[in-house]
Amino acid sequence: MAAASAFAITPHKVSVCVLLQMYALPTQATPPFSSVSQHNRLGLYILSLTKSYDDILEPKLEDLISQLREIGGSLGPWLIDHLTSRVSSLSSPDDLFTFFSEMRGILGGSDSVVIEDNQVILDPNSILGMFLRRCVLAFNVLSFEGVCHLLTNIGIYCKEVLSNCMPYELHRLDGSSNDLESLSECENMDLENFVFGKVNEEIEERKEATERVSFHLHATQAICGLVEDVEVVTDPRSKHHDKGTEDCPHVHHPGTESQDVDPYGEVFLRTNWQVQGYLMEQADAIEKHGGSVSFNTFELILRQIKKLAPELHRVHYLHYLNSLYHDDYFAAVENLHCYFDYSAGIEGFDFVPPSGSNNSARYEIALLCLGMMHFYFGHPKQALLVLTEAVRISQVQSNDSCLAYTLAAICNLSSEIGSSITAGILGTSYSPETSMGSSVSVAQQLFVLLKESLKRAESLKLKRLVASNHLAMAKFDLMHVHVQRPLLSFGPKASMRLKTCPVNVCKELRLCSHLISEFASETSTVATDGAFSTAWLKNLTKPMGSLVLTQENESGENFHALQFCAQSSSIPRSVLQILGSSYLLRASAWETYGSAPLARINALVYATCFTDSSSSSDTALVHAKLIQHLAAFQGYKEAFSALKVAEERFLSVSRSVLLVLKLQLLHERALHRGHLKLAQQVCDELGVLASSVMGVDMELKREASLRHARTLLAAKQFSEAAAVAHSLFCMCYKFNMQVENATILLLLAEIHKKSGNAVLGLPYALASLSFCQSFNLDLLKASATLTLAELWLSLGSNHAKRALTLIHGALPMILGHGGLELRARARIAESKCYLSDPSYSVFEDSEVVLDPLRQASDELQVLEYHELAAEGFYLMAIIFDKLGKLEEREEAAASFKKHVMALENPQDEDPLLNLL
Amino acid sequence: MSSRESCRSELRTAIRQLNDRCLYSASKWAAEQLVGIEQDPAKFTPSNTRFQRGSSSIRRRFHTNDVTSTPPAGVSYVSTPVMEEDEVVDGDFYLLAKSYFDCREYRRAAHVLQDQTGKKATFLRCYALYLAGEKRKEEEMIELEGPLGKSDAVNREVASLERELSILRKNGIIDPFGLYLYGLVLIEKGNQNLARTVLMESVNSYPWNWSAWSELQSLCTTIEILNSLTLSNHWMKEFFLASAYQELRMHNESLTKYEHLQNTFSFSNYIRAQIAKAQYCLREFEQVEVIFEELLRNDPYRVEDVDMYSNVLYAKECFSALSYLAHRVFMTDKYRPESCCIIGNYYSLKGQHEKSVLYFRRALKLNKNYLSAWTLMGHEYVEMKNTPAAIDAYRRAVDINPRDYRAWYGLGQAYEMMGMPFYALHYFKKSVFLQSNDSRLWIAMAQCYETDQLHMLEEAIKCYRRAASCNDREAIALHQLAKLHAELGRSEEAALYYKKDLERMEAEEREGPNMVEALLFLAQHCREQKRFEEAEVYCTRLLDYTGPEKETAKSMLRGMRTAESSFPLMDIEHFHP
Repeated sequence: MAAASAFAITPHKVSVCVLLQMYALPTQATPPFSSVSQHNRLGLYILSLTKSYDDILEPKLEDLISQLREIGGSLGPWLIDHLTSRVSSLSSPDDLFTFFSEMRGILGGSDSVVIEDNQVILDPNSILGMFLRRCVLAFNVLSFEGVCHLLTNIGIYCKEVLSNCMPYELHRLDGSSNDLESLSECENMDLENFVFGKVNEEIEERKEATERVSFHLHATQAICGLVEDVEVVTDPRSKHHDKGTEDCPHVHHPGTESQDVDPYGEVFLRTNWQVQGYLMEQADAIEKHGGSVSFNTFELILRQIKKLAPELHRVHYLHYLNSLYHDDYFAAVENLHCYFDYSAGIEGFDFVPPSGSNNSARYEIALLCLGMMHFYFGHPKQALLVLTEAVRISQVQSNDSCLAYTLAAICNLSSEIGSSITAGILGTSYSPETSMGSSVSVAQQLFVLLKESLKRAESLKLKRLVASNHLAMAKFDLMHVHVQRPLLSFGPKASMRLKTCPVNVCKELRLCSHLISEFASETSTVATDGAFSTAWLKNLTKPMGSLVLTQENESGENFHALQFCAQSSSIPRSVLQILGSSYLLRASAWETYGSAPLARINALVYATCFTDSSSSSDTALVHAKLIQHLAAFQGYKEAFSALKVAEERFLSVSRSVLLVLKLQLLHERALHRGHLKLAQQVCDELGVLASSVMGVDMELKREASLRHARTLLAAKQFSEAAAVAHSLFCMCYKFNMQVENATILLLLAEIHKKSGNAVLGLPYALASLSFCQSFNLDLLKASATLTLAELWLSLGSNHAKRALTLIHGALPMILGHGGLELRARARIAESKCYLSDPSYSVFEDSEVVLDPLRQASDELQVLEYHELAAEGFYLMAIIFDKLGKLEEREEAAASFKKHVMALENPQDEDPLLNLL
Repeated sequence: MSSRESCRSELRTAIRQLNDRCLYSASKWAAEQLVGIEQDPAKFTPSNTRFQRGSSSIRRRFHTNDVTSTPPAGVSYVSTPVMEEDEVVDGDFYLLAKSYFDCREYRRAAHVLQDQTGKKATFLRCYALYLAGEKRKEEEMIELEGPLGKSDAVNREVASLERELSILRKNGIIDPFGLYLYGLVLIEKGNQNLARTVLMESVNSYPWNWSAWSELQSLCTTIEILNSLTLSNHWMKEFFLASAYQELRMHNESLTKYEHLQNTFSFSNYIRAQIAKAQYCLREFEQVEVIFEELLRNDPYRVEDVDMYSNVLYAKECFSALSYLAHRVFMTDKYRPESCCIIGNYYSLKGQHEKSVLYFRRALKLNKNYLSAWTLMGHEYVEMKNTPAAIDAYRRAVDINPRDYRAWYGLGQAYEMMGMPFYALHYFKKSVFLQSNDSRLWIAMAQCYETDQLHMLEEAIKCYRRAASCNDREAIALHQLAKLHAELGRSEEAALYYKKDLERMEAEEREGPNMVEALLFLAQHCREQKRFEEAEVYCTRLLDYTGPEKETAKSMLRGMRTAESSFPLMDIEHFHP
């Protein structure tokens, strides 16, 4: 019956039509609009009603009335009065017919209508005009049964308001409106009997309908109770779970849950367009906030939509997203398959009947999604299989954009999980690049893939994809070593061929940022004006007039949304997100290259500008970076209090980077304070976080075993530490993580230094140094230089000069970018060099050694790095002793004693731990 | 099992009682079973045995086994065959209401009984209201079709009925029929657990209401639920269990039950049809055909379950029989989903897939939850190479009943057709999970793994092995296993499977290229293993075939003979130390 049009006429739409009439024929109003702005405000309100997608259900008359009261100002009561009386006066099918033919009159273009002064002629092609035309059309295609249903529903729609809360405006309606209405209904019934003598059934139906209504009025309470009963039975979990997460701001709660199974069916979905908009926004919200969206609340809403619109298949997709971000693998797979089975990947905004024999099915998108899902769940093998299939099908269907996206996804997959498994599969069955054979390394394959993907995206003018490909390229350049030939050996000789190119990284990042300027021509989708309307409706409490400029604190989030929509609606969220990640990548690039201030600034830019548009996991990551920075430069106390704040904010981010960060900080601190047991425990916990699958979570695994080696080193188990470091080196080598190897080599040098084999340590330090040089790891290079200097120094005092030169060379870098620990170490090493230099005499220039030592010990006390602090104080005490400053000597000695005691008897009480 | 005579008298009373309460389909069922009880040969008159014809009855008449007439000891059953009548004489209002009801004027019937308080009157009033609601629901279903599909219309009487019936039940003044209605209402409201309890109470106190049993059966979706029911012993329970087992795909258990029941109800068309259904699921098409031929002879205007018969005729490609059947049901009642389905099948067999889709669509219009029509329509779309439509149809079948392995299989096939083997695997896995002893499903899955794109031969071998172990009729699995092993260079395993395949082909007296291939491989394998005698046997057998293999065999024979004659001793010395 109504399948032809995707637009059904409902009581709410009738109300909007009434409002439109009031808007268009202002002279009919007894108190006409006092100002143009008031008139415009009503127009804007009506526009918002037809566009906004803040909910799936159409508002009830009650809601409409309360909103009208807000926007109408002095005119509010009159508007409400007029609306309710007009709607409730529709009491027979014929009234509806007259009403809709009247409606046609306010449309421009029909000559027959007499135009009054002041009448606003609606352009038939304007948004409101279109809406009106659709309403009229939808009414005209209704069958008589349909009109009867509409009438019944209008009756229910009005009666709920009139009987429930009898608004004060209604006093002008003579007496009790209920009686009036039923009276007129009776009259009409007679009339109908007279006119449509034959159509008995409909009239019978109407009688039933009226019966039903009165019954409903008497028994609402009981029914609500029953309805709740059913709720409990159908979903016993929801009740418990929802309690905890009730106040979730991201997902809309439908007014009353009992609506869900309202037996009388007066709930109506909004227009298809609005529901789709709502679903899109919810999808965004889920992707952005991940697991923090309440699973069951949203599931309930989806079930309701499913019930009201069984052919709206996008609901399955949202089911999928919801279960994906709540880590429910089986539900995710089921719903994904279900969605694509029904929609064939082509469900758009205008509903396409499924039976059509269209050959434009897009199942490759299903494969792409499935691949990403497997990737998300950490099944690289399956993901790769599916994505390979997606490549093939995209090629067969010549769906180039899907191919481009798939390639990008494969790039992403193999850069995240750059392990040997990919090589095997890519080598055998991946068609586009099979010519390369299986001997090439994964990195090279990835490089070729990236290039290919970028080229495709560029030729297809997929701007976002181009940008994100540039980003991927930058990431690749950052983390991978460029080699022209396969690596044969390591060490200084081979390293000439290995190098990273910071210039490339910069270039790619810059190219990525071009996106925002290129974006002008992009046509925006539904989101923008709908979002504006939604925000506008939500902000009704604002005084009229200046919409944007009012700065009130109370309506925090909504207000931001409004501001955002009103100001920069031309840049979609996805673009902002990509831009944001480019800043994130910049931050990590500078971190790697060793510029702390630049890294911090980029992270700050991200945190201030892009948090609104980016996913919560990215935001958490940037917070982690900032906190790490804080720990390195200001000590643990600051870092821990910041961490606490961040943890509260990202409470439900799953697989949180914050957890990793917390463990890292705890480990660091435990090492400094000498709590080796705790350090080991934390280190083990870190290791457990990583997945047990080969080649997955490599970063985490590396981190864990690096920390394990350092713990062993601190415990003076040198050979064990060296063994762990060696195996770590082998692993990194196997998985092509050359850049990380510089750190490991340095650690090995450190181990040998501590164990007293300075000679053995030297080659490691040198290797690390050359790695750092070719990979442009400046800060690490400085710290390697420092280690080298320390190694030389420990070889004897005749090398002190050389060591000092080395340290002085590295000092600018260290003092400019290094953290507290590194700086202190450099200073202590410097003064040790002076002290062991035979040509240096304390009496001549004591400040040269004392000043760095003082600074170092201050910094080390902040860090509570007992071992090094003790060393500093020890040196100071000796110098003071030499100088004969007894009082200061005693002071330094006392401090020395304090630190040594603390190191030897680590207390269990740690005030900072309580902070967490 | 009680004696035939007691069954008969129980059923007779029950039919009267059920009719009195307008529970017509239950009474129809009971009457069918009543007639299905074998007449005492001494007493039968031609008119009595009109519906008891058929070859089996003749066989049975000379087959004097009277085991069934003696009730076995130790089995208790509900002892009161006749219910206490609360009103011996129906009130006038009741009679009026029943007449209205019979004219399908449900609301009037309910209205007449408004102030009547007897159990019977209360039940009829509630039942009339329920049916009025159902009727209105059906109408609204068409009226309320929205832009995004039909939103489910609801029976608006359910809420008030539930309230009333729950109060009655709480006060203990509800009869078994009321409980049955309460169960219906609860199912409509989605309260399955309570519905199960209530229906159980109903059937325990009045077992002859088959409608109650079948509602209860629809709530038993797993064997665990079925086993958790506490049902008193009665011969009706056997019917219930048989039907429940069938739904739960325990076909053999179900068959046993039905065969046991046939001892008493030897002429029941219902039981015969159910047996046919079970045989159909076990893919014993011959037997199904025999049963249906007999059924339709006895009951030529039957439409129920005949669609299954048409499936069998379709599978056996009996054009004329299928068209005859289609014609007959069309004349009987063309607006039954089953009739449309049969016609659809006929057109499908004729290769006119568009027309066939048309009729399946009509069947679905008549009953949109008609599972097999969705699946069959999916098959038609596959034939028409309209994969998206096929997928849509299959998916709908799956959403109606997620245990329909054929639709899952169809989905898998459709995706495989589009060259998405990995994606298809998901569906094959589903179908195999539901029907793990069907070799066709395993073979389909194996073929998926075997495709060039996936080339996951180990997995394919595993699947073929499963297929081979569950009675693979077409004997694809053994051959493929042998081939795959040969491809992977495991000649021992390959030889083993070739040998098995060969034995099987010999047993079934099949010939063909597979035979040649097996012989050739075995011959070569034996030669490599230096088992020349065996190799010679295989080569000689190969000589019976024409083609290039014959020449190969000849040259192999020649080669072996020369090798044997030139170094007969060396072989022994070198290889058998």
